[in-house]
Amino acid sequence: MEFLELFAWMKVSDVATLSIVLLLGMFALLAIGMPLGFASAFLAVAVLVMKFGPELLYGNFGKGPLSVLGQAVYRQMTNYVLISVPLFIFMASLLERSGIARDMYSSLNRWLSGVRGGIAIVTSVMAVIMAAMSGIIGGEVVLLGLIALPQMLRLGYNQNLAIGTICASGSLGTMIPPSIVLIFYGLVTETSIKALFTASFLPGFMLASFFILYIIIRTNLNPSMAPLPEVDPSEPQGREKFLRFVGFVSRFTLWITGALLIRAVFFTITGDNKVVEGVDPIALGMVSDIPYIIGAGVVAAVLIQFVVGRERTAEGWEMGKGLIAPTIVIGVVLGSIYMGITGITEAAGMGVVAVFTIGLIRREMTFDIVWDSLMRTLKSTGTIIWVTIGAAALAAAYTLAGGPTYVANMIVASELPTMGVILVMMVIFLIMGMFMDWVGIVLLIMPVFLPIVLKLPVEEIGFLGGLEPKHVAIWFGVVFCMNMQVSFLSPPFGPAAFYLKSVAPPQISLTAIFRGFLPFIALQLLALSVLLIYPPIVTMFL
Amino acid sequence: MENESVWLGSMRGPVKMAMIGFCAITGLIYLWLILGQFIFDDAIGMHEMIRPAGRPIVSVMLYSMLGALVAAGVYLSDSIGAIEQRPDGVFDTLSLVTSRIAMILTAVTVLVMFYEVVSRYVFSRPTLWANELSLWIAAFVFLFAGQYAMQQRSHIRIYVIYDMMPRWMQKAADVISLLLLLGFTFSLVWGGYADAKTRLLRMETFGTAWDPPIPGIVKPAILLIIVLVAIQAVSNLIADWNKLPEHHGHDDIDETEIENIRRTLEN
Repeated sequence: MEFLELFAWMKVSDVATLSIVLLLGMFALLAIGMPLGFASAFLAVAVLVMKFGPELLYGNFGKGPLSVLGQAVYRQMTNYVLISVPLFIFMASLLERSGIARDMYSSLNRWLSGVRGGIAIVTSVMAVIMAAMSGIIGGEVVLLGLIALPQMLRLGYNQNLAIGTICASGSLGTMIPPSIVLIFYGLVTETSIKALFTASFLPGFMLASFFILYIIIRTNLNPSMAPLPEVDPSEPQGREKFLRFVGFVSRFTLWITGALLIRAVFFTITGDNKVVEGVDPIALGMVSDIPYIIGAGVVAAVLIQFVVGRERTAEGWEMGKGLIAPTIVIGVVLGSIYMGITGITEAAGMGVVAVFTIGLIRREMTFDIVWDSLMRTLKSTGTIIWVTIGAAALAAAYTLAGGPTYVANMIVASELPTMGVILVMMVIFLIMGMFMDWVGIVLLIMPVFLPIVLKLPVEEIGFLGGLEPKHVAIWFGVVFCMNMQVSFLSPPFGPAAFYLKSVAPPQISLTAIFRGFLPFIALQLLALSVLLIYPPIVTMFL
Repeated sequence: MENESVWLGSMRGPVKMAMIGFCAITGLIYLWLILGQFIFDDAIGMHEMIRPAGRPIVSVMLYSMLGALVAAGVYLSDSIGAIEQRPDGVFDTLSLVTSRIAMILTAVTVLVMFYEVVSRYVFSRPTLWANELSLWIAAFVFLFAGQYAMQQRSHIRIYVIYDMMPRWMQKAADVISLLLLLGFTFSLVWGGYADAKTRLLRMETFGTAWDPPIPGIVKPAILLIIVLVAIQAVSNLIADWNKLPEHHGHDDIDETEIENIRRTLEN
């Protein structure tokens, strides 16, 4: 093959040159607007050419090192966890088209309308609940923008506060399980996704509570930012309202304990919950759990009968009805994962079934809605899948060329302070997040960054409290997720701003939207620094 | 779904009939097989379903399922959704058909998982085949989704500089992108051909209890469908060659979706 010898110069002997060419190539290709997935796929070929030389690669049709490309793609295509991605997207788009969110909003609003800054708090709480249902942002910001923004503006809320609350809370979807960002992180780094979900719980709630505290403090210091709505005389107030809330919760508890009791009895009859050594007990389904379930039910019944009273309970039930469907969806998805019923993928499938069934009961599902959701699902899946294929090929090729080890050794040998390295990574994440989608970052950067982090001395990570070596990958995933929180809001391309812009009244400009984000970005950075300074907050429940 | 025909024209009726026919055959055989579970000792279950040799009814079932899937894909590709671009040329139509098949398969995956969870959790009789079947199906969903995303031009790209270029430079950039993509496809096929061929000819199986031929089918399918994607990319470039430059805002914003959500909220 003399023809190929003409290209022999393409072979590059050392990894350093190869890495630099790769980096520059990536910038150049992205700059000319090449789709990210194809750019990485081509660069995978380029890396192999540089590593092995064209002669070895193309000398023999059908064989040679180029077969790693096909292998890498095949591994992704037959990855069971990856199936959860289209299913979660499917679930989210079905959810968007049902009235579940609207009803949830009106229920929450009735409980909290008397509080200063009530609608902003309702928005945040609702965002957390929606985040726990699906974990896809975009739809969430649009929904909140359509439901809550007009109401806040009509009541005379401060515009910046309203905008910031909607977008910052709407982005929480990636931080609170199930989160599609963490699924991808787990896929790329082969970390347990369930552990990642558990670990991100507390940081997610911490961030949400930062938002809510900020709203409460700001609006109480300056009440003109959030005028109270006029009091509706037919609505119960104060203590009465609280009693109705207790009534609602008790009645709901009664239903749940009833269902759990039937389940436990069913298992007892079928004999599935026999105590067998080495087999995990069924959560809340063992014979020994039955007294507790009955006890909780009795407490709820007593509360309804003697403390709240039946009439108030019935009113409370009416007020809170909108919260039932979301609770069920969360129970199905997270319950399946955490009670050991199914893995992530099947939990996503069950989520689809749950949302569909609720939609049927509410008489909202039609063939057109399902078909339209499937269409959107396929489109988003296709968009993500190309990046996955390209990045998987590139990661495989680069690893074969010894790239990640080389970079990790270089960083470790340079004897930079551990937290210095991590801070530099954070800055890189934040800057890349301004321009690039999270999928690209997690798939392309993580295979290089995580080995570095794993090689750093573990006792130097964090300032207060340390980490166990086996938890470093999980901690870094949650930290990464927090970085991506910022990327949804950061100018100039923060997606949340564009989602909100598409539903906001025309007089609200993009600049105004980004201005509203500033305090919330500060809060996100605060949460990020908490994770860096005190890493055990991530591993607390592991 | 009674909107105008996109490409079938007068063939729409016959295709619909074919779809209904195949679905009916599949359904009837399915009922018969279910019934067989209670009647015969050597009933045909999922294990026999992927081993049709010597079992004519299984062959008929598999072919009628395939026929139903293809006919449904063709029929449903005849009407496009509000978020979709109109197909323009043979390969666009092909991508639309495969996308419809993938959409049906996504729903099938959900059903398979639901069946598995119910039979494992409620009846304590986990299936041997559900996980592998969904894996098998999902591989095709992913590949077809990629083809569909290509036809719909919905890729993650960075438009900052691209939008500032004059049209001739954009065209040049598009041509470079396309050539590089073809380079990747060429290398992928070059490196993977022998592997895929041997596995296809051996119908290599997954090595589990149910033992479906996942590597034997998915490996060649990857090469084939990525080649189709590359052809689709060429067809896109030709179709878009004389179009005016579009301005790209944020590509995820989708007016129809917002309109739909708005309507849901007003109900």
